[in-house]
Amino acid sequence: MDAEEESGIRTERKVKKAAQLLFFRRHRTPGVKGWELKKALGDDYVEVIAVLNSVLDTLGMEVKRISEEGGEREGEEKKAERDRFMIVLKSPVIEKASGERIDNIAMLSATLAYIISKQGKVPRKAVEEFLSGKFPKQRVYFAIDRYIKQGYVGEDDKALYIGWRTRAEVDRKALLDLILT
Amino acid sequence: MKFYKVPGKQMKFDELFRLLNFCKTIQTEGTDPFDLDVKKFLETLKQYHNKWKSLDDLLLDAEAIAELAKIIELQGKWIKDRSSSFYIDPVLLELKLKMLEPQQLATAFFKSWHPIISLDRITPQRLTEGLAYWDALLPLGERIDEFPFPSAVKSTFDIEDLIELNILSKTEFDDSIRAVLNELEVRGRIEYHDFIYGASFETSVKRAYLTSYLVNEGKAELDINPLEEEVFISPSYYTNVNAQAHHTQSRSIPISLSYEDWLQWMQKRNQE
Repeated sequence: MDAEEESGIRTERKVKKAAQLLFFRRHRTPGVKGWELKKALGDDYVEVIAVLNSVLDTLGMEVKRISEEGGEREGEEKKAERDRFMIVLKSPVIEKASGERIDNIAMLSATLAYIISKQGKVPRKAVEEFLSGKFPKQRVYFAIDRYIKQGYVGEDDKALYIGWRTRAEVDRKALLDLILT
Repeated sequence: MKFYKVPGKQMKFDELFRLLNFCKTIQTEGTDPFDLDVKKFLETLKQYHNKWKSLDDLLLDAEAIAELAKIIELQGKWIKDRSSSFYIDPVLLELKLKMLEPQQLATAFFKSWHPIISLDRITPQRLTEGLAYWDALLPLGERIDEFPFPSAVKSTFDIEDLIELNILSKTEFDDSIRAVLNELEVRGRIEYHDFIYGASFETSVKRAYLTSYLVNEGKAELDINPLEEEVFISPSYYTNVNAQAHHTQSRSIPISLSYEDWLQWMQKRNQE
């Protein structure tokens, strides 16, 4: 077996491992931190993820890299260790990918659109009052707490902002366009 | 807020505190940061700059500059947001959101949603770890401190609590009990469920609740036949109720009421 062949086998093994790490949940929060990938795959984990990405592309999926504090990232290898990596559907072709009630999805959709329209941060009370125009208050409180727990919405000093999970999963521009059209 | 005895100084601080509070309101409420006139704010600070003397004065000056810097940062962000593709008039969007049906909102979300793919699977290794954990776990009796008994339940309401909370008046409650007692006296000894159950399940539960007070106060008696599983209720004709209560050992008798049972009773009554 020559060196090139050996390197190919090693890369293939790493890509398989990366896929399993990213597909299967290891913590309560979905996704894997950069440092975990580095520990499991080695220093060249960013390149391994790039190879995995090209494989996933044919299946309509992609690896997304999200920083805890900001938006999507590309490059900046040093910061990658702190970022969260996850596989998302690139172009959903199935109608349903969630068992959530339609009411909860509607409230989430309205909450996100409302926050985005108010420059990304809005007092929690304002969101509660807005949603309670269509849903009972108790359900609204419960739903907001749930979105915070799921990572779709963040809360800081009684103000709500767009959470990391929304940044990873939701095409915010498309959401606003769909609501307005 | 600090108070200063010199009138001119008081006025000066009032103005600064007002501006500081306005800065904080913009940050917390998310209102338009351009509502603050930065130039005027700086001119106000400049006007008093040479008059600052004490450490408190300088600290206030520094706080004002820090708050102003935050507002300028927000103004920068505001311009960035407005110029980005995400900017939409909030009023227009709010109106649109109010008009849309939940179904339409959910559809918009699903169309812009790229869900994370995350699966759960128990691996053989994880099962082995679970088994090792089980083996290492001490019996419950030896770990009882990890599961303390819940403290006594204090959340139930008795009649005194309801009266205290003005949910029920004492007179209203006494009248209801008297009405049930009068009915029992008219009907005499009767099967408990026949007495309790009425036209609706709600009133039946209410009667059961009131009857429990009659029994508790010794104004009615329960006669239980365990073999036949029958319970009869009758008015108590003892003259000295209190004496009776003192000589008889009290005990709790649970009698179940359920919606299904009430439905069956109704069907039986209609057939009769």
